[in-house]
Amino acid sequence: MAAVATMPVSDLLKSFKLKTKQQELLIRVSILCLVYILAFITRLFSVLRYESMIHEFDPYFNYRTTLYLTQNGFYDFWNWFDYESWYPLGRIVGGTLYPGLMITAALIYRILHFLRFAVHIREVCVLTAPFFASNTTLVAYFFGKEIWDTGAGLVAAILISVCPGYISRSVAGSYDNEGVAIFALLFTFYLFVKAVNTGSLAWSLASAFGYFYMVSAWGGYVFIINLIPLYVLVLLITGRYSMRLYVAYNCMYVLGMLLAMQIRFVGFQHVQSGEHMAAMGVFFLMQVFYFLDWVKHMLSDTKLFQAFLRITVTCAVAVGTIALGLGMLSGYISPWTGRFYSLLDPTYAKDHIPIIASVSEHQPTAWSSFMFDFHILLFLFPAGLYFCFKRLSDATIFIVMYGLTSMYFAGVMVRLILVATPAVCLISSIAVSATVKNLTVLLRSKNKGVQTGSTKGSSSSKASSKALLDQSQPFQKNGAIALLFGAFYLLSKYATHCTWVTSEAYSSPSIVLAARGAHGNRVIFDDYREAYFWLRQNTPPDAKVMSWWDYGYQITAMGNRTVIVDNNTWNNTHIATVGRAMSSYEDEAIEIMRSLDVNYVLVVFGGVTGYSSDDINKFLWMVRIGGGVFPVIKEPDYLVNGEYRVDKGAAPKMLNCLMYKLCYYRFGEMLTEYGKPPGYDRARGVEIGNKDIKLEHLEEAFTTSNWIVRIYKVKPPNNRW
Amino acid sequence: MSQKTKMAPKPDPQSASNVAAADAASQFSMDPFFHVLKLVPFSFLRPPRLRLKLPSFSLPSAMTVFSLILLTYFMVVSGFIYDVIVEPPGIGSTQDPATGAVRPVVFLPGRVNGQYIIEGLSSGFMFVLGGIGIVLLDLALDKNRARNIKVSYSIAGISSIVIAYVMTTLFIRIKIPGYLR
Repeated sequence: MAAVATMPVSDLLKSFKLKTKQQELLIRVSILCLVYILAFITRLFSVLRYESMIHEFDPYFNYRTTLYLTQNGFYDFWNWFDYESWYPLGRIVGGTLYPGLMITAALIYRILHFLRFAVHIREVCVLTAPFFASNTTLVAYFFGKEIWDTGAGLVAAILISVCPGYISRSVAGSYDNEGVAIFALLFTFYLFVKAVNTGSLAWSLASAFGYFYMVSAWGGYVFIINLIPLYVLVLLITGRYSMRLYVAYNCMYVLGMLLAMQIRFVGFQHVQSGEHMAAMGVFFLMQVFYFLDWVKHMLSDTKLFQAFLRITVTCAVAVGTIALGLGMLSGYISPWTGRFYSLLDPTYAKDHIPIIASVSEHQPTAWSSFMFDFHILLFLFPAGLYFCFKRLSDATIFIVMYGLTSMYFAGVMVRLILVATPAVCLISSIAVSATVKNLTVLLRSKNKGVQTGSTKGSSSSKASSKALLDQSQPFQKNGAIALLFGAFYLLSKYATHCTWVTSEAYSSPSIVLAARGAHGNRVIFDDYREAYFWLRQNTPPDAKVMSWWDYGYQITAMGNRTVIVDNNTWNNTHIATVGRAMSSYEDEAIEIMRSLDVNYVLVVFGGVTGYSSDDINKFLWMVRIGGGVFPVIKEPDYLVNGEYRVDKGAAPKMLNCLMYKLCYYRFGEMLTEYGKPPGYDRARGVEIGNKDIKLEHLEEAFTTSNWIVRIYKVKPPNNRW
Repeated sequence: MSQKTKMAPKPDPQSASNVAAADAASQFSMDPFFHVLKLVPFSFLRPPRLRLKLPSFSLPSAMTVFSLILLTYFMVVSGFIYDVIVEPPGIGSTQDPATGAVRPVVFLPGRVNGQYIIEGLSSGFMFVLGGIGIVLLDLALDKNRARNIKVSYSIAGISSIVIAYVMTTLFIRIKIPGYLR
């Protein structure tokens, strides 16, 4: 103790002084820690504003299955047949979902309980997505380090932590497959690029397991199994075949394929589906390359080898084409499914599959969506591509291909901006890192120039050039400082934009609606949950509820009642039956409802509040989908001169169909806005046409406080004599 | 550790047999297609003496590919696919309630994911301009050029970035009225 006290302060400080390498490590680690925390807390807006609850529609199904998993164990979950949805068909849950998300959340739950943190499974589910977003920033750092250098890795981690394209689907409460899948996607790509760079079997094995995790998490794994073969093909064409590539791709493909078949939902698709055939084709092509390489190594005669090359290539191409043709003709290899085919031919869904075309997330992307989700990354992306092309290597070719393919798909479907986000962030980070490096080299170059000028001899040309250099040095140095400040300004604008977008646009739970009242105060509409809890507490346990498929998951999870159709949309005819019931007259509809054993009908109506995503606005999709299967429903019957109206000039079929009656029952006497007649629909902005509505076979059971959700009970048939 | 093998371009069998037929007398060939073709049509047909060269395709340079990619990026980011599928008008119009005259509306109001064709193209152009500005800055810092070219590149680069950023912020502010408030 005395010895320490007698040591002077300067010696103490000197003992703490770090070497440059250690200083750099300290800076890097502290930046990564701050970015990790930032990625987590920027996604917590809705938890702080409302409460910790699950958002949207799909996450409710995931939550319900996770609850079942934690309560009943893995084998009951894997073999679960759910009789509470898609009445009377039921749903084989174990075989029709991607279990990765549920198993991850259940694992975190078990670990926390093992450490004696008694959290509810709902809290774990709500915070799973931000946790994995933080992990994604770490993977982005390592990936950036692999492609370019550590500076690019750090910038990539920073950019991806706040990028709105990623935040939109990984905010707290958004308990959906994408929250985990983007982490798995980037992780798999990182492991594969590392395997190609090092040629090590260990990294290839790791990438196969990463692929397995991705297959278990999301249907978008098809992107990986097509991008990686495309990347291998590009490397082969540009003459970069090597043993490293051979080891990496073979190991990853074979093991990854075998592991992927463990997921029942995927099954044998890797050998049977047309979408996976590219990977198999490239696999065989790699074997041909290896074989030719080996023969060339054995033969010393080049002319003989040329002839052998021609024969082998012709035979290989012929055999491959015949095999593919036989597979497709015999039907063993199924063609591309509609969802993925519409990515290649965007006009396909509009004409042929109305269910896919009706989802708002599947619309093509306009420039403002890009700007909203990417901001200055849209400038940095082409610049980053330029830097990648300047320094081509196996890794930069990969990131360029990932960026281009994902940007094209993001242009086709708004939802896929999420898949493009990691690539855009990585390529932009290359641009930022390279530009900042150029500028700082300029800042430091003055000292070096003076040194070399003084140590070398003074020839006249060198002296004159040195004089010129001296004149421009301060100007260049000031210019570099100004440009660095400009770059800092742009990046801070990016951070401001991202935080504003997250706060305003992407933190709404969708199940709780918020609006600004007359005096600017915030008004909360909690009607959905009010209606579901009414269902839970006031209907018999075996009651069956008919509603449009959007609300199915929420009704089963919160209302705990059987539904007819839900968001899984696996049976188009069943949905069309419901659509037909909603768009028919009450007498026809009651026949359909009796045949389905329906006890309650639930509709969503936004006329009182001005809520625009209600069933009247979705009604035309019900008509189209119903009409797609039952030709008796014709869309022109509901339109007037091609226009969709609900006021006095509306079509008679529209004014008397079941959906209209259920939504506007008793609405004719309602005063919704000052100065407007009773029955004024605030969402459509018109006074409704048919105010005097009488229901014969249904009676009103419950309407929520703001009239958003309305529940009707189906009356039992009259007694017969 | 890496071995790079340059693979020869893959010819089709017909031209292969033509080339092989030319020097049939000079060497023995182990190509079975060649022997079959020597027998079936070419024992009684005489192929003409042509001076044909096999088309040799060389890979384009990296910068050519980059400029093609820049063009594709411009099309994707200006919402070209949206234009093809949704088919919005080139520019919108609204009627002035007071005078009754028809005024053009450049930016589609009301939603984030919607556009007219011209607003998409102009925004896409601004994005590409910003990207090119950064590329010009990097070219300006390259040591092996004359000084006046470096200065002009850097001025062009800086002004491109500034213009692109200011215009894009202006566009998004017009499109989304509540932006950053």
